[in-house]
Amino acid sequence: MSPLVHQFAEFLHDLQQLERAALPSHGSLILDAFTKHTPYDVGAVYLRDARGPEMRLAAKSRLCVAPEILDGDSLDSAPLDPKPRHIIPMRTAREDFGVIALSGDISSDEDLRMLHAAGTFAASLLNTHRLAQEMREGDFQLKYRLWELESLYDIGLSIAGTLNIDALADEILFRMISLINARRAALFLRDGDKFRVYRSFGDTRSDFLDDEITDRVVAAGEALTFEDASECIFPGCIATVAVPIKGNNAVIGVLAAGDRETREGDVGAFEANELRLLSLFANQVAIALENARLHKEALEKQAMQRELDLAATIQSDILPKSIPVVEGIELAALSRPAKQVGGDYHAFFQREGTLTTVVADVAGKSMPAALLVSAFHAAIQLLFAEGRELGDIATELNRHIHSWSAENKFITMIVVTIDPEAETIQFVNAGHNPCYVITGDHIEQLRSHGLPIGILGASKYMTQTRPFPAGSTVVLYSDGICEAENAAGDEWGNEAFEQLLARHANSSASEVRDAIAEAVDAFVADAPQKDDETLVVARTAS
Amino acid sequence: MTEELKVAVDRKASGAVLYTKGYINNVGGEEIASRAYELMDDGVRTLLLNLRDTKIVNSIGISILIEIIEKMIDKGGKIAFCCLTPVIHKTFQIMGLANYAAIFDNEESAMKELGL
Repeated sequence: MSPLVHQFAEFLHDLQQLERAALPSHGSLILDAFTKHTPYDVGAVYLRDARGPEMRLAAKSRLCVAPEILDGDSLDSAPLDPKPRHIIPMRTAREDFGVIALSGDISSDEDLRMLHAAGTFAASLLNTHRLAQEMREGDFQLKYRLWELESLYDIGLSIAGTLNIDALADEILFRMISLINARRAALFLRDGDKFRVYRSFGDTRSDFLDDEITDRVVAAGEALTFEDASECIFPGCIATVAVPIKGNNAVIGVLAAGDRETREGDVGAFEANELRLLSLFANQVAIALENARLHKEALEKQAMQRELDLAATIQSDILPKSIPVVEGIELAALSRPAKQVGGDYHAFFQREGTLTTVVADVAGKSMPAALLVSAFHAAIQLLFAEGRELGDIATELNRHIHSWSAENKFITMIVVTIDPEAETIQFVNAGHNPCYVITGDHIEQLRSHGLPIGILGASKYMTQTRPFPAGSTVVLYSDGICEAENAAGDEWGNEAFEQLLARHANSSASEVRDAIAEAVDAFVADAPQKDDETLVVARTAS
Repeated sequence: MTEELKVAVDRKASGAVLYTKGYINNVGGEEIASRAYELMDDGVRTLLLNLRDTKIVNSIGISILIEIIEKMIDKGGKIAFCCLTPVIHKTFQIMGLANYAAIFDNEESAMKELGL
């Protein structure tokens, strides 16, 4: 028996390593097996290139000179040195995998047949290896397609459930990059006529989407590739794709991705499948962005309503719950806040047989106005408790509010003190509507004689005094009364106000209040109330 | 957001932990593979990949991770992952990585289970 027969089992065992070895090491494994277990000690292995007809050198002995590529059947004439004694094909019934060229001492015909059998065995192993590889790749591709479908499904669920637009933008970018193997990506959202970068993975050339690309994407309405203008979005980019995000009536954004990766480590153009995926993805994104926008608007509305409710609570808590009973003075009051909380304020104070009442109006609406009313309320309560006179109270209030409040915040205020015994009325009017004093058939206006509270820190206010005979009436009000508007936009006005007061010169305080309220309501009719309405009427006993 | 993947290695007595930060794509995957193969050549047979700072992985990155797992299995070792985002966790399950490599919610439980 020849030596080859002795070693054949070991020979096949060595060849069997092909099954587990990586493709690049196949040539050397085959050459090692054929030169270790046969009389041939020099050789070269050529493997068929899967992408073409030629055979490529996969391995050679150190002393062997062999070309890198063999074309077709030119092996016999190939410049192999030393000249091969035998060329062993690696061929199955259906496919040619390559050849092994061997030089060295010839052995028996039996050995040669065994060498050919070993070549066929090697071809079978290569075939098995290739099939296993194809199966693995097929399995991977199958799973990958499944993953794509799952991703699209997940994206729908996930991004539709993500209502925070910042978190949503990250989710969109991450998903898109994974889905199409991109190296860079950006989400552009509409900003007027342009699309501004909202989030990007990697640098973008500009904060805005290139005008030409914008026009092309919006016009196409579907995913487009931009090999010709690939650098317009991502600097240094070879291939770019962009897809419009279509809202109900217009394109609300653009998704762009750059440089699709290949397994070989290169970057290349995006393929049709990826464009289709991206278009499907953009549809999901459009729904998600619309949901997020609606959610944001709803949250803002809720927050605004909470603020309004809180402001209304603050304001209603500091207004008098009841009208004080004062000997010799009949009082009536009305407070009708508008829907949108304003800053009307009124209060009553009693001191040594006198009654002081204040009506004020804070500039602005909602929470800022309510907070300023609150600060005004606290300050005037403290100042009055200290026993100060009206001018001093107004001066201190002004200094306090000026230092505490924002520049554009001020308060108009009228404060009056009625002394029934002295039959006088003292007042300070800081930028407020004039109040009316009705004595018999005479109506007098107590006009403003100073800037509103909080305008100028150094302002000083002086107390004014007027006679207030028994049976006189004073009417304090906010501009919501005299400027009440009807549906045509006309104001009730001071003229109508004064005519009404003239008709009720001898009416009680509550009758005057009710008459004013009814007249305002009749004038306004179905028009919505635009501003807070505050009214204080005080009448001394005849 | 950053594009480049960074890998940090923490050698343990009985293995190693690789911490990744960034995108596991072709470039990132090759970086992980390079560090993993160095460790394998150095005799490491238990490897934990902590992906806490990785939010994106693409199909090429996944195929490279599969190659690393196969190579480690060939050497008789084991690879595990921990701290995956829900998206990456699901991706690994669909792509079959979970069949060959254990996945843990946190590093502590992974270290305990792997004996690192």
